[in-house]
Amino acid sequence: MMTDIVFVALSIFAIAGAIVMILSKSPIYSALGLLITMLSIGGLFALLSASFLFMVQIIVYAGAIMTLILFILMFLNIKEEDLPKEPKKYSLVALGILLVLPLNILVLKAVSNLPEKDLNIVDGNFGDIKPVGMALYNNWLVSFELISILLLVALVGSIVLAKKRKPKENKGEQ
Amino acid sequence: MISLSSYAFVSMMLFSIGVIGVIARKNIFVIYMSIELMLNGITLFLVTFARYHFNLDAQVMTVLIIAIAAAEAAIFLSVIILLFRSKKSLDTDVFTTLTQGEKS
Repeated sequence: MMTDIVFVALSIFAIAGAIVMILSKSPIYSALGLLITMLSIGGLFALLSASFLFMVQIIVYAGAIMTLILFILMFLNIKEEDLPKEPKKYSLVALGILLVLPLNILVLKAVSNLPEKDLNIVDGNFGDIKPVGMALYNNWLVSFELISILLLVALVGSIVLAKKRKPKENKGEQ
Repeated sequence: MISLSSYAFVSMMLFSIGVIGVIARKNIFVIYMSIELMLNGITLFLVTFARYHFNLDAQVMTVLIIAIAAAEAAIFLSVIILLFRSKKSLDTDVFTTLTQGEKS
């Protein structure tokens, strides 16, 4: 009973934050709406007894990525006239709803045909850090190594992109 | 009792709102955040099915997806900084130098 109320509250917060994110004009409000959505999804992970992913969601998404987004927003010092004018925003939103509606109906119909199971919080160590780590290092080792290479490439790439360009006249000598 | 369909409904709603944001908005920041929202809806779906089948592989996939999202955040935000420096705008209609045909 308690988990039902928590689930309904978290889903309402998640969807409301997402709607605020795509409808608000200022990017700061969008970022705050996304932050609410991330935190609510972390709570839903906890309800699904994925305690390690709950921590990862809070630390990586709500901590690191949202801080990065807000930092860039403050750093760019965006004025009102830099924002694009979007006169057709609401009609495009209606078009998008029409486009995604068939996919939603398909997926929900497919899921509703599956046999019902109890999704309550389980006792024991399901989703704890040790079983997830064992699964990650035993069955998913190649993916883990590839992800580490991807993170290294992203690190080097963002530094190369963000560093100062050389002046134009040096370009021919290299 | 919370059923599987309610979790599926929430995650599909989040994914669809992300798709609508990519379609409807012109602000490049909001498009980036919509992509993050789509990734989050998919991870919620994966974690739901991990609990449903009592299998940890989907949770491991979610960890990998979160790592990909972090890498994507670094690259995307540095590209946004470069674009904003060169054009002084966040409008996606301004960044059309790679298209063929007439200049907008």
